[in-house]
Amino acid sequence: MVLKTELCRFSGAKIYPGKGIRFVRADSQVFLFSNSKCKRYFHNRLRPAKLTWTAVYRKQHKKDIHAEAVKKRRRATKKPYSRSIVGATLEVIQKKRTEKAEVRDAARAAALREIKERIKKTKDEKKAKKAEVTAKTQKTQAKAGLPKAPKGPKIGGGGGKR
Amino acid sequence: MIQPQTLLNVADNSGARELMCIRILGASNRRYAHIGDVIVAVIKEAVPNMPLERSEVIRAVIVRTCKELKRENGMRIRYDDNAAVVIDQEGNPKGTRVLVQSPGIERIEFHKNRLISSRSIIVVDEIMIE
Repeated sequence: MVLKTELCRFSGAKIYPGKGIRFVRADSQVFLFSNSKCKRYFHNRLRPAKLTWTAVYRKQHKKDIHAEAVKKRRRATKKPYSRSIVGATLEVIQKKRTEKAEVRDAARAAALREIKERIKKTKDEKKAKKAEVTAKTQKTQAKAGLPKAPKGPKIGGGGGKR
Repeated sequence: MIQPQTLLNVADNSGARELMCIRILGASNRRYAHIGDVIVAVIKEAVPNMPLERSEVIRAVIVRTCKELKRENGMRIRYDDNAAVVIDQEGNPKGTRVLVQSPGIERIEFHKNRLISSRSIIVVDEIMIE
């Protein structure tokens, strides 16, 4: 069974069901107190930050911080994941993991080189194509042969480029 | 723990501001009234130009007390003041809006026939406190 415990507004203690006092102030603010001690101190206007046994005081004076820090540190270390996934079986993963740095770098460099060559090839092809097309259009213009300025606008003759 | 001569604030817009308890209804020598009990009260202070006037004897149901309300699940709820809502003989509120001082509560239920389960009025209200 799950019990919903609330926190005391004054001391920070847990309030179990059936315990505690609830105080609704005139401005509609609700205060929960775990026992009449907290309630009394609250009404006598004592400040929880000045009482050593309250959670507010302990937080302010940084008690119990070490235990929390230790807990956090333990969770930070991650283990390498040793299961096969879709796309790479366990052997492939392990092989990749144990590869040496030089081998990896060499592979990377080779891949880069390939990509560069590929790009260069496509660029050259494009250039050649463009040169062809412009040569063709120039020839057709000369054939049409009207007394126009050589570098005039291509009226109806510019369809080849597309 | 409201008893005769107790001054109560009024938690609605019926026109009264302050009530003084005269009598607690329910038994012949009933001593104290708690949240949900009906009392007979006289209006000690009223808002001008409203249907209710000063020194009028009316009935009211208590909605807030400084003494804790104890619920069956062990919860205790204490307010900052004593307050009541003016009702008529049948149990219907005289005002149109009830000013309830708890977060998120807009209404207090009034049963048409009688305020039988008078705790139930505030049960609705209390459940919504939290």
